Amino acid sequence: MAAPNLLDPKSATHNSKPCLSFSAKSITLSPREECQAIATVMKWKTVLAIFLLVVLYLVVGAAVFRALEQPHESAQRLAILNQKLEFLSTHTCVNHSHLEELVKQVVSAIRSGVNPAGTLTNHSSLWDLSSSFFFAGTVITTIGFGNISPHTEGGRIFCIIYALLGIPLFGFLLAGVGDQLGTIFGKATARVEKMFVQWDVSQTKIRVISTVLFILFGCLLFVALPAAIFKHIEGWSALESLYFVVITLTTIGFGDFVAGGSEIEYLDYYKPVVWFWILVGLAYFAAVLSMIGDWFRVISKKTKEEVGEIRAHAAEWTANVSAEFKETRRRLSVEVYDKFQRAASIKRKLSTDLGLNSTPELTPPKRILPVNFTDEREREPMFPYMTKNGSIFQNGLGGEPRRGDVAIIEYLK
Amino acid sequence: MSSWYKSWILLTGFILFYVAYLLFGAFVFSTIERPVEDKLKRDIQVLKEEFLNQSCVNATSLEHFLEGVLQANKYGISILPNSSASSNWDLASSLFFANTLVTTVGYGHTTPLSDTGKAFSIFYALLGVPFTMLVLTACVQRLMHLVTYGPISMCRQKIGLEPLAATAIHFAILLLVVVLGFFVVPAVVFSYIEDTWSFLDAIYFCFITLCTIGLGDYVPGEKPGQNFRSLYKISVMVYLFVGLMMMYLVLRAFHRMADLHGLTSFFQLPHCDEDIEEDKEPIIEAGHEDQHEAEDSAKPLDPASQTSYNTINR
Repeated sequence: MAAPNLLDPKSATHNSKPCLSFSAKSITLSPREECQAIATVMKWKTVLAIFLLVVLYLVVGAAVFRALEQPHESAQRLAILNQKLEFLSTHTCVNHSHLEELVKQVVSAIRSGVNPAGTLTNHSSLWDLSSSFFFAGTVITTIGFGNISPHTEGGRIFCIIYALLGIPLFGFLLAGVGDQLGTIFGKATARVEKMFVQWDVSQTKIRVISTVLFILFGCLLFVALPAAIFKHIEGWSALESLYFVVITLTTIGFGDFVAGGSEIEYLDYYKPVVWFWILVGLAYFAAVLSMIGDWFRVISKKTKEEVGEIRAHAAEWTANVSAEFKETRRRLSVEVYDKFQRAASIKRKLSTDLGLNSTPELTPPKRILPVNFTDEREREPMFPYMTKNGSIFQNGLGGEPRRGDVAIIEYLK
Repeated sequence: MSSWYKSWILLTGFILFYVAYLLFGAFVFSTIERPVEDKLKRDIQVLKEEFLNQSCVNATSLEHFLEGVLQANKYGISILPNSSASSNWDLASSLFFANTLVTTVGYGHTTPLSDTGKAFSIFYALLGVPFTMLVLTACVQRLMHLVTYGPISMCRQKIGLEPLAATAIHFAILLLVVVLGFFVVPAVVFSYIEDTWSFLDAIYFCFITLCTIGLGDYVPGEKPGQNFRSLYKISVMVYLFVGLMMMYLVLRAFHRMADLHGLTSFFQLPHCDEDIEEDKEPIIEAGHEDQHEAEDSAKPLDPASQTSYNTINR
């Protein structure tokens, strides 16, 4: 019997269309459950991914800081040790322990904000009203420079209570100032838009331009200008002034540079103006930083989408590959079966020719089982039937012949 | 225009009240601290004189020497003998520093010395701070459902409390747990590990750190000859991060509760902002929180409300 074209390897590959069996299978889940499952899976993964990214960011920063700073630190350390040795050698009557004691006291005095260098008479106190006002401001804005800090127990307890109440208060204030800034910005943008509309520029371009303008103008007003003023008044370098401005306005507040913290004669209104600048600058920085955060969010969303696309592509590719693989397997098993049949028939011929007993040692029917003669699509409903059929075949009983089974039965005869 | 006018008046009122609060704080700090400072000044002066008297050192060379010492000390370098072993910029300490930078705590016990270090800090902070806020917000959002919405809805269903009462009780319990777990217990641990810290100092440290004020007068792990210094610093980092998350969580829960009780509408300035779904998320969820979750993940930061940045800071 001529094999039906289903057995023909070439046509078989044409017939089978590998489809995304994943999507077909997942119909069993209700759409909402699936959405939920996907949503929660994505989100945990996203958070974990972001978290790992932050840890990586920290480690990279740590490595860079170490590479940049450690040499300087060693140099400074060497310098001060040399100075100490020199001092000890030039002033031979000073013994080691006395010097250590003095240094310890000096250092702790510095920590308390008292500068023992120079004469102490004309030093202004660190806790006069204006400096205390400044300190209270640094506590509430959570900048916390640290060049002044309370040392008494009472001062510390009061600091805690004060901050507990003051920080939310400042939060509200910042919200209010930020809102006003926002409205001013919005009005300015509207005016700029009106101007640009005459020239037929697209809406998004206007938005982008106005955002850029906002950033630039804000930088000029709240960063560059104060930095220049600090450079002039405090005598810092340009980089140091900029560094101070950024560190203060992000509320990090190291305290190595503090406006109004050195021993210069300041104008009376200097410190209040600095405080006011901090207030408005903080609102501006909050806006800028949340904008950067928005960009991160957009980027992460885009990455998520791209990752989703990549995933879909990968799923499709996997489905294709597995379909191809199954196809090849089927083809191979069919070929094997083919050859097998031919060998068996030849053997039978030979045995009949030679008059030997024909003992079917081989059991071809058993081998048929894994073969599918149908496409992917029909595989699902077909398969259980096929296996049933196959087992029936094994027993030698005839089952209901389906399309593909006809050939097998033929060959067995 | 009247609402705009009203908002201006409210703002001015706020500013005035805020200035008054600052003045009050300044006055109290001044009264408490100034006498101590004066005494310290006198003591150090006496010490200097004693030192000068009994030795051949003259005043100028001592001044010069002291200036050098102070300069070095500003950068965390001490010439005292037992502190010369550990560097301030080994990997664990640098990691600690980077962490204080991005969480905006900023102790200042070690600061970048080189110009390149300063420039790098600027960029690192400008990127790292929003990044950290993003992570914190994302984590806190997940935690909110676990810690706040879940228990409250359970409370309502099982015990059948009124929503207002349920939120209030839950918030009180949450606050108690956070204070115990993140202030008292770490303070005990710190006061045990650091010999020079008393319990009050340790609580003061925990508070100043978790509010991201970070004055820097107390920094853990700075004792010379500290055992397991790297491990210690890294665990302090973890404590800082988790503590910040909990603070933000408490704040969020408070905001939601205040929303429910109608307090925020009293305090908030009248302004038209685009109401984002996330802000309207009620603290009592009827069960279908998952619909919000998709939006939550999409909007960890709400750009319209300016409180987000500063509240996140805590």
